[in-house]
Amino acid sequence: MIFGAYLTGSFGQSQELYKVRNEAKRGRGSEISIAERVKKDTQQIIRQQRDACLDFVMDPMFNFFYIFQPFAQNVNGVEVGPQENWFNNNVFFWRPQIHGQLDVQTGFTEKYIHLDELPMDGNAMVVLPSPYSLLVLSDVTGYLDRKAAMTNLAEVLYAEAQHLASMGIKRIQYDEPAIVVKQSLGSLTEEDLLLLRRGMEVCGDVRGATTSLHTYFGDAGPIIPYLLSLPVNCIGIDGTETSLADIVKYDYSGKEVALGLLDARNTSLENPHEIAEQLKMIAERTHPIKLWLTPNTGTEYRGFTHGAKKLELLSLVRRMLHE
Amino acid sequence: MNKLFPTYEVGSLPKLNSRVKAVRGQPATDEEINNVKTLARRCSVEYNEIVDILETQRREQRKLTTEEISALTDFNALLCIKLQESVGLDIVYDGESRRVEMYQHVANRVDGFEKTPEMIRSRGPDSWRMAVCVSEPRLKDDSLDGLVIEEFDFVLQHAVQTVKVPIDDPYMIAVMSDNRYYLESLNPQYGNDPHKLRYEAKRAFTLALASNVIRPQVEAVVERGAKWVQLDIPAATLDIEHIPILVEGVNAVVDGIDNVKFSLHICYPRRVSLTDKSGYELLFPAILELDPNINHISLELANADQYEKDLAVFAQYRDQRQFELGVGVVDITLEQQQRGKIETPEIVRSRIIRAAETLGDPKLVYVAPDCGLRQLNLDRCLQLYELMVEGADLARRG
Repeated sequence: MIFGAYLTGSFGQSQELYKVRNEAKRGRGSEISIAERVKKDTQQIIRQQRDACLDFVMDPMFNFFYIFQPFAQNVNGVEVGPQENWFNNNVFFWRPQIHGQLDVQTGFTEKYIHLDELPMDGNAMVVLPSPYSLLVLSDVTGYLDRKAAMTNLAEVLYAEAQHLASMGIKRIQYDEPAIVVKQSLGSLTEEDLLLLRRGMEVCGDVRGATTSLHTYFGDAGPIIPYLLSLPVNCIGIDGTETSLADIVKYDYSGKEVALGLLDARNTSLENPHEIAEQLKMIAERTHPIKLWLTPNTGTEYRGFTHGAKKLELLSLVRRMLHE
Repeated sequence: MNKLFPTYEVGSLPKLNSRVKAVRGQPATDEEINNVKTLARRCSVEYNEIVDILETQRREQRKLTTEEISALTDFNALLCIKLQESVGLDIVYDGESRRVEMYQHVANRVDGFEKTPEMIRSRGPDSWRMAVCVSEPRLKDDSLDGLVIEEFDFVLQHAVQTVKVPIDDPYMIAVMSDNRYYLESLNPQYGNDPHKLRYEAKRAFTLALASNVIRPQVEAVVERGAKWVQLDIPAATLDIEHIPILVEGVNAVVDGIDNVKFSLHICYPRRVSLTDKSGYELLFPAILELDPNINHISLELANADQYEKDLAVFAQYRDQRQFELGVGVVDITLEQQQRGKIETPEIVRSRIIRAAETLGDPKLVYVAPDCGLRQLNLDRCLQLYELMVEGADLARRG
């Protein structure tokens, strides 16, 4: 079956998790109570993904405040810098301050995800930052040039991806919002494209796992042919930013495509019949190896309940396509 | 204002612990009650009635009456005004002490808004209760009193210094809300172009908020004597492509309202924008189209401490549009408080002078904190105010 579905990022927090974190912030709670709540919510969302028969199952990333956090807080040679808006969201990240050249080091993601809760026998997925987004959203010093920095960051991420794959993770998703946002803003240069290509040449091929370069928050339309030429198994396209007309312009033979047709930043629920029909049409015209339905990004932007509704929708459309 | 480098607050101050606890039905501690007395003495505010309420509640272990809650709220507001004045600020308000939180204060009073079931995470563990727009937003009946009239009347009655009223900007409310209604409504028209759909939906949402929710507040306070209204837009540079919407929204709020000074407060600009611009450059040239009534912008600057770079763009466009600037001279982040770091009067003086030199005209410079102070403790807030006042004094001397 060509069609499948999965989640692609941090899940919306529950009110209970908010409460324990808020209590801890005010000196009335503990890290243990947070860890317990995170574990409980993680178990629930992993169970819901399995019940929904999603094709990849991921940790809902409740331990992440931002995608670069494990890297910024744990990799030697990196410090946590000033806060910054995460693209056009009322959500913040802290710019990593990278003082290269970094030694290759692994295991920095492990304590943030619940490997023991994931199904390590077939379809577990982990999300890592793409080296290009990491590079352009960080303050970087100590390298000969940007290409050298790109290569080094990709080496560190590749080692981490390989480490996770060796533990049974079957899918590595590299999150790549920056390239399509630059495209949308009209600031994309040839150098940007070369840098991302260089990064994916280093970390795109992981032994024992498939890889996906997941773009979001921007219009991928004009650079779809370029994305298809990158050495990854799958490309992710934000269907809430990229027009359907652009998506169906190309032939995806030899690639998997993850289409973010469910808007994780809007509480509107898409019509499942329309989504299913769109996917059938896209598959028929573009010939991907696999066509995955996904939310465009993590559901963290609208909270647990709305995230669960999008998850149900994923499951429903998947079922319709499999009938 | 004739005085060089006037000083002002930006918006919020932390609420008194004793008040927050008492309203929740929790007894205030001796330390908290003593703190009330100390603060009140510092700015010559009568406190016996308040201490009596707190001690009675503690002794009787009961809920406060409506009148007692009201007295505590008034006391907190009065204390904020008088503390600011006693420190020496030239322009004051009540520390937003009647507002639960800037966004929620408004969102709770809008018909057409529903709350998300959960708090949405924003900055680390910090979260906010997002509103989902499900129909055209309108102020609920009789909401203006609690929204802005009562607090403004109180401030006007008690403040000796100039009053500046902080009011949420419509674009900020739009950015922090889920725009379900307009995305769905405009989907038939723009559905084939998702990028355009997002723009037009946010524009429609912002303009509806401007005319139905924000402008009525501004009109209400102006009618009652407000001479300076500050529109708060912390998220101004959040979406680089949508800055023209912000300008349209502001203009829709202030259009035709004369004889009032209008200012904007903007903070935490995108430093990494993925374009060739960053920081406050991102606002240009769009903000040149702001209504002529807007002649003042308050900016967060101390956090990055690159006055020359951040203000260069205002100097560059000075021939086309000259704004007075409220320059943020003290870093108000929680991280600085946790590290125990704070500016000195000399640092503040230097920042003021650097800003004046970059802008080429000291008369354009007002002195402010980077943003509202509600996340800090009150002692630190007062220290920051003192630094501003001392630094401005030093700067006036050259």
